[in-house]
Amino acid sequence: MSALPRSRRYQIAVPLALFIVVLAWWHPYAVIEGVQRAGLYAAIALPMALILGIVGIVNLAHGDFLMLGAYLAYWFAVHTQGDPLVAILPAALGLFLLGAVVYRATIKHVIGSSELSQLLLTFGLAIVLQQTATLLWTSQPVSINTEYTSTSATIGSLTFGTYGFVYVAAAVIEFAGLTFFLQRTRLGQAASASGQNPVGARIVGINVDRVYLIVFSISLALAGAVGVLFLTRHAVFPLVGGGLTFKSFCLAAMAGLGNLRGILWCSLILGLAESLVSTSKEYAGWADLIFFVAIVAVILVQSHRRQVT
Amino acid sequence: MAFPLYAGVYLQHTATIILTYLCLALSWDMLVRTGQISFGVAGFFGIGAYSAALTALNLKLDPLLSIAVGGLAAMAAALVLGLTTLQLRGMYFAITTLALTEIFRVIVRNLPGLTGGPEGTVLPSAIFDGDPTKTYWLLLAIALVTIAISEAFQRTRVYFAITSIRHDEMVARSSGLDIFKYAVFVFAVTSAIQGIVGASFAQQYAFVSPEGTFDIDFTLLPIAMCLLGGMHSTLGPIIGALVLGSVAEYLKLQLPYGHLLVYGAVITLVILLMPQGVAGKMKEQFVREQ
Amino acid sequence: MRSIEHQDPTMTNQMAGEMAVLEIDSLVRRFGGLAALRQVSFAVNAHEVLGIIGPNGAGKTTLINVIGGIYPPTSGRILFQGRDITELPAHLRCRLGIARTFQIVRPVQGLNLLQNIMVGSLFGRGASLKEARSQSLGICQFMGLSRVDRAIAKLTVLEIKKMEIARALSTQPRILLLDEVMAGLNVDETREMIDLVRQVCAQGVTVCIIEHVMSVIRELTERVIVLDHGEKIAQGPYEEVSRDPRVIGAYLGEEE
Ligand SMILES: Nc1ncnc2c1ncn2[C@@H]1O[C@H](COP(=O)(O)OP(=O)(O)O)[C@@H](O)[C@H]1O
Ligand SMILES: [Mg+2]
Repeated sequence: MSALPRSRRYQIAVPLALFIVVLAWWHPYAVIEGVQRAGLYAAIALPMALILGIVGIVNLAHGDFLMLGAYLAYWFAVHTQGDPLVAILPAALGLFLLGAVVYRATIKHVIGSSELSQLLLTFGLAIVLQQTATLLWTSQPVSINTEYTSTSATIGSLTFGTYGFVYVAAAVIEFAGLTFFLQRTRLGQAASASGQNPVGARIVGINVDRVYLIVFSISLALAGAVGVLFLTRHAVFPLVGGGLTFKSFCLAAMAGLGNLRGILWCSLILGLAESLVSTSKEYAGWADLIFFVAIVAVILVQSHRRQVT
Repeated sequence: MAFPLYAGVYLQHTATIILTYLCLALSWDMLVRTGQISFGVAGFFGIGAYSAALTALNLKLDPLLSIAVGGLAAMAAALVLGLTTLQLRGMYFAITTLALTEIFRVIVRNLPGLTGGPEGTVLPSAIFDGDPTKTYWLLLAIALVTIAISEAFQRTRVYFAITSIRHDEMVARSSGLDIFKYAVFVFAVTSAIQGIVGASFAQQYAFVSPEGTFDIDFTLLPIAMCLLGGMHSTLGPIIGALVLGSVAEYLKLQLPYGHLLVYGAVITLVILLMPQGVAGKMKEQFVREQ
Repeated sequence: MRSIEHQDPTMTNQMAGEMAVLEIDSLVRRFGGLAALRQVSFAVNAHEVLGIIGPNGAGKTTLINVIGGIYPPTSGRILFQGRDITELPAHLRCRLGIARTFQIVRPVQGLNLLQNIMVGSLFGRGASLKEARSQSLGICQFMGLSRVDRAIAKLTVLEIKKMEIARALSTQPRILLLDEVMAGLNVDETREMIDLVRQVCAQGVTVCIIEHVMSVIRELTERVIVLDHGEKIAQGPYEEVSRDPRVIGAYLGEEE
C-alpha cells in the first residue's frame, strides 16, 4: 500500500471506517475483541516485516522466537512468584543476544543465496526451536494467571475485558519506535539504505553485514518482548509460534513487503474479520481460515497487478 | 526386493514405512526442481487419506479404488490452489503451503458429520485384511511408479522446462516457456502422489484423524531426507529416505518428545554446510578426483 | 505438454512483404518516478538491420524488455506483423517469432551448452526432443560452437555470447533483438560476430541490434534510432545521425 496514491488510500480507509461503525452498532463486542486482536497481530508482525524489509529474508522461525520469549517469562514467573511482565526487559535482552548468535551462525551464510535456501534454513530453525521447547517443557500448554488481565469495563449493557488493549498500545509503541529508529537515527537510516539498495549502501561505506545483524537482533528482541505480553493472556506451548509466523507473513504481504504502517491497517481488517467469525456461534471454528483466504486474495491481486503494471 | 517373503513382520513394517517416506521425499523433490518449495506435503497426504477413508466407508468403494480417489482428490486440491497462487512463486507460494496442513485440519475438524470431527474415523478393516506382505507390495508398486515419474521428469522435455524455470524464469519466459502451466502441472502431479501415499496409509491403518493424519512428520521427514540425500535428482531422495527412514522408527522410540529435533537439525546443517546434500557432495568429490 | 500456440507459417509468409514487422507506438515505461521510455515510436521493416544506440541508461535494454514482454509498458502499443501484442505474455510473443538476447548473459547453469540452446527450440517452436536436438546441433555448427556437451562453467565469453544468440535463433524467430552482444569481445571476435549477424539476416530474419561499438553499427545497419533519457532523439542512416547535434550532445553529456 506504500505505493498507493492518497486518493486510493481514502478509497480503502473510508469503507473500512464505515464498516467498523456499522459493525460496532450491530455487534460491538466483536469490534472490541477485533481491535485487541489486531493490536496483538500487528505487534507480532511488525518485527517480522522489519527483517523482511531490510534483510530481505522471511524468518519462518519468527513465531518460535516469540514462543521462546514467552517461556522465558513463564519460567521467571514460576521461579520468582513474580509478575511475568517484569520479564519483558530480560526476555528482550536475551533474545537480542540470541539473535546476534543466530545471525552470525546461520542467517549470515544464506544472505545472497537462493530464496529456497533461505526458506529452508529458517524452516529448519523453526523446527529446532519448536522441538527443543518440546524436549525441555513437553507439549503441554502453560499459562499464567494474574489479576489485572481480567479487568473489565462496562459501557451500557456491554461488558468487555480491557487488558487486551495493552496489545494495541504495544503495536502503536512498536510502530512509533521503529519509525523513529528508521527515519531519525543514523543506524536506522543506514538500515533503510541497506534495505533499499545493499550494493549502494556498501559503496557509501555502510557496514551492511553489521546493520543486518543489529536489525535481526532487534527483531528478535521485539518478538521476545511481545512473547511476554502474549503469555499474560494466552496459553503457550511449543508449537504456538507456527501459526503466528504465518499470520505475520500474511500481514506483511498484504501491507506490501517492508511497509510498516500498512501492517497496522491490515491487521485491523483481518483482526475484525477474525473476531467477527469467531464470536459467531455457528462458524467460530472457521476463524482460522480468515488469514489463509486473505493471503490467497493478496496473491491473486498482486499477480494481476504485476501483469498490468 | 523379494525379501519380505523371508523377513519378519517388523522388517516388513519398517520397509513399508521407508517406502512411504521415499515416495513423499521424491515427490517433494520433483516440485523443488521447478524452484518451488512446498511445506504442505502433510496436507495433501491428509486429503488423500481422508478421501480414501470416507469413500471406502460411505460409498463402499474397493480399497484400491479408494486409494486412486485419494490421489485424485489431492490433485484437485492442488489444481485449485496452484491455479490461484502459482502466478506468484517463491516465498508467497512456499508460505501459503506452510499453512495448508493446518487449514485442511481445520476443515476436517469442522465437518464432523462427514469426517468424524476431532475424533477421526475408523474403517471396519485394514486393506488386504491387514496382511503386511501385501501392504509392502502395494507400497513398493507405488514407489516404483513414483520413481518412474521422477525419471520421466529427468529425461523428457519436462526436465528442460523445470530446470530453466528453477535457474532463470526470465530466460524461460523469453524462450517461449509457459512457466505457470509447468508449475501447476508439476504441483498437481506431485500432490497426487502425496495423496495416493496418504490414502494407502489410511487404508493400512484403517484410521484417520485430524492430528494423526495431518502429522507434521509427513512434511518434515521428506524435506530432511531430500536435503540429506541431495536435491534435484531421483537418487538423492532415495538415499536420504533409506538412511533417515531406517532410523526414524528407532528415534521415535528413543525420543518420543523431540525426535523431530533431529530432522530440523539435519535441514539447518545441510543448508549451511553442504547445500548440495551428502550424495551431491560425494558426487562432487568423485568428479573432482577424476 | 506441447502447445498449439506456435507461429503459423502461412500467415507470416503472406505478410512478410515490405510492411513493418514490428511497430512501436508511443511507448512509455516508468519505474516509480523515473521514465525509462517516453513516447517512443518507430517501426522495424522486414529484413532490415536496425541499430538502436544511445548513451548508458538511455532506455535501450528497457525497450527490448518491453518488446519481449518481460514487463508491460506503462502506456503505448506494440504491433507485431500487424497484430497488437501489447497484452501478450512473454512466452507467447516468443512463439509468435520475437526472440532476444540478454545484455548480461543469462545461461541456465543447470543445463549444458546444447541443452541451453534446445530450450528455445523445445518451447519457442514446440519441437520434440529429437527435433530440438538436431536443430540445435545445426545452429551450433552454424555459430561455430563445438564440444556442445560442455557445462556452462567451461565456456569462454565468446561462446556464451554465441550461446545466447543460438538459443534465440533456435526459436526460429521472425525478428531477433540483440542487446550489446559485441561488448567484451576483442577485434577478431567482433569480426566473427558481425559475419554471423549478416548470415542470420541473410536467412530472412529481421534484426534489431543495440550496440555501443559504433564501427559495428556503421558496418551492419542501414538505419539507426537514437535514444537519450528514454526519448527518441533521432533516426536515419548512421552517417547522417552521427552528425546530428542533438546526438553528439547526448554522447558528450555522457562523458562529463
Ligand atoms: N527494473 C528496473 N527497475 C528500476 N529501474 C530500472 C529498471 N530497469 C531499468 N531501469 C532504469 O531505467 C533506465 C534505463 O535503463 P536501461 O534500459 O538499462 O538503459 P540502457 O540499456 O540504455 O543502458 C536506467 O536509469 C535504469 O536505472
Ligand atoms: Mg542496456
